[in-house]
Formats: sequence, C-alpha cells, structure tokens
Amino acid sequence: MKEPILEIKDLNAGVEGKQILKGINLTIYPGEVHAVMGPNGSGKSTLAAILAGRKGYDVTSGRVSYQGKDLLDLDPEERAREGLFLAFQYPVEIPGVNSTYFLKSALNEIRKHKGQTELDAMEFIALVKDKIQLLELKEDLLRRSVNEGFSGGEKKRNEIFQMAVLEPRLAILDETDSGLDIDALKVVSNGVNKLRGADNAQLVITHYQRLLNYIVPDFVHVLVDGRIVRTGGKQLALDLEEKGYDWVVKEEVAPA
Amino acid sequence: MLGDNSVGEFYSVAVTNNYQQADTGTKMVHIGKHTRSTIVSKGISAGHGQNSYRGLVKIQKGAANARNFSQCDSLLLGNKCGAHTFPYIEVKNTSARVEHEASTSKIGDDQIFYCNQRGLATQDAVNMIVNGFCKEVFRELPMEFAVEAQKLLGVSLEGSVG
Repeated sequence: MKEPILEIKDLNAGVEGKQILKGINLTIYPGEVHAVMGPNGSGKSTLAAILAGRKGYDVTSGRVSYQGKDLLDLDPEERAREGLFLAFQYPVEIPGVNSTYFLKSALNEIRKHKGQTELDAMEFIALVKDKIQLLELKEDLLRRSVNEGFSGGEKKRNEIFQMAVLEPRLAILDETDSGLDIDALKVVSNGVNKLRGADNAQLVITHYQRLLNYIVPDFVHVLVDGRIVRTGGKQLALDLEEKGYDWVVKEEVAPA
Repeated sequence: MLGDNSVGEFYSVAVTNNYQQADTGTKMVHIGKHTRSTIVSKGISAGHGQNSYRGLVKIQKGAANARNFSQCDSLLLGNKCGAHTFPYIEVKNTSARVEHEASTSKIGDDQIFYCNQRGLATQDAVNMIVNGFCKEVFRELPMEFAVEAQKLLGVSLEGSVG
C-alpha cells in the first residue's frame, strides 16, 4: 500500500477569530488528481493558503501530514523544497527581479535540498526552452521582471510554466481557471496534464466545472461553509453544474 | 557644469540599518549652455535607520537650454525606519527643463510569500528584491565593483527582516 502524499485530519482553522475550515478530512495518494469545488466564501482559498504556509491563519485543531511529515511545522520555503507547489490565484508582480534569475534560484534551492548539483544560467535556459513553448509563452518573458506587465492570462500560464520547471510532488492549483478565456484554459490544462504522473498528485481548486472538462479529476470534493459535504467521482462535478451547490447542501441536511 | 554641452551624473545607493542615519545627495550646478545632469538616488532604510536625500539642482542665469532629470526612490524595510527627501531646485533661466521623480515603497508581504512558496528563504527574497531596486545604479558600475556592491548590500541587510 503506497503512502499518501497528503493527509488532512480534522483540520479546523480560521482568520482573525472567525472560523473558516470546520473539520476537513482529505487524503491524496500518488497519481491522483483531486478537485475541490465550492461557492464563494466556502474556504477554498483558505485551505490552499494554509497548506502553502501563508501567515495570518490560525489552525485551531487537526493535523496535516505531507509525505509522512507534519506539514504545519514547516516554513513555507521548506514545504516548497519538499515539492509542494501553489499556483496562485492572483500571482504577484516583483519589479526589478528578473524572471529567469528568480526561477533558476528557486529550482536550485530545490535541487540543493535534494542533494543535486545546481544549474548555471546556460543549463537552466536549455532546460526551460521547451517548457516555454508548451505554455505558449513568448521567449522574451525570460528577460522580464517576475509577472511585470503580464496580462492576467500570461500570469496564469507563467504559474504553470513555473510548475513545469519545478516539477512538484504536490501541486495545488488555486482557481487557476479564473480570468481565463477558453484558449488560455486549454493551454494551461494541457500543461498541467503533461505534468501528471504516477508519483505526484494535484489538488485543483475551482469554482466552475468547466476546467474539469480538461483536467479530469479522480475525486471531487464539495466544500460548503468550511466543510466537505460530499465526495464523489468526476460525475459529481457535472451534477453540481446542473443542479447547483444548494442541491448538495439540501441532500446533506436531509439524506434520502 | 561650467563648459557648454557638459554632463554631470550621480548614482547612489544609501543603506541604513539598526540606528544609523544617513544624509546623502549631490549638487548639480548648470553654468554653461546645453548642459545635462542626471541624478539617480536609491535609499534603503532598515531597522530603525533614517535615510535623507538632500539634492540641489541649480540652473544659473546664463545656462541656456539646461536639462536635469532626478529620480529619488526610497525602500522601507519594516515599520521602524524612515526616509526623507529634500530636493532643492533653483532655476534662473526660463529655457531650463528640470524633472524630479520620487517614490517610496515597502516590500509587500505577498511578494515575500510568493518567493517563499517557490523555495526561497525570506532573507534571500529580500536581497533579490533590494538588488532589483538598486539595479539602475549598479548597472552604471564596472562589473567587478557591482558584484562586490551587491554582496556588501546583502551583508548590510542581514537580520533586517524578522
């Protein structure tokens, strides 16, 4: 029996005294793609933020284990070096910091952590050339500052480009589809799917079912008001699309 | 700038940390005709440091068609430091063109977290962002000096971020 990559047990968390997550249980094994869907305010982004280690959230109870280690005990950069990647919903701009230099530094931190040799600029550029084409980004991106002057779609594609370069064990995609037109959605989904492997896993957080036509999940979890009210296969996403979140909540309140 | 068509350039990076106070700046005096001056001043305040920029741009009566561009940027690291700008502009010739830009910024928590999430430690992220901030000045230096200046900057800011 393979060890799970991620195990969340009874996670309760909040921000500024307000409870947002109310007892989350979720286990992800290698090779799996899980989708978390929910209406606005359900706690989706809070979950992503807590897994990535963003400050400002209070975990009141519960455990999160990542590759057998206590995840909540690690700093965000330590989690990243262990192969945890977050594709941000709103990627931030870092003026003055060259994209290539930034990503090369990130990759080398991860390689150093794994005991691998660090890459120099030439080796790095050779490595990323085909990944740039995969995400249909322009090569001049390598010369620009991180996310500076990027359109919304370019920022999202840049997130997946970074994912392709860093090759994480667990990738958390936080509403990667928001703000994307159908063409950009296809490019991004294609990139994500190419990275799917037997030894890694993906947690796709989304509002709409549409993304899941392209990134087909193995499991779908419905998050409403801080609780996972239902788990199912990919059909659940289609049912939700048709019947809305209210349907799931009603079914939970008055089970058949 | 006494001679006609003469040029003056001033590039500086000033760093204060702990309880240091710095008062830096320059004087550009335009005397001849068609003179040019450029001032790029980058101030970084950390800890309880206080950085002041004090610059004088003086266009004399006979300095026809003089041009000046001054850029004064301040970066604040933390909540206990300060940055102050005291530009002095004295123009005695109506054909002069004098431009002054100033900005004050902090490193956003979101920017640091983005770097952390990619595997970079906070101190390295700060160094990277501060270097990006100073790029325009370091670019004017001979390469060997610029490399040393970047390292020195890193050392000066050690422990500046909690």
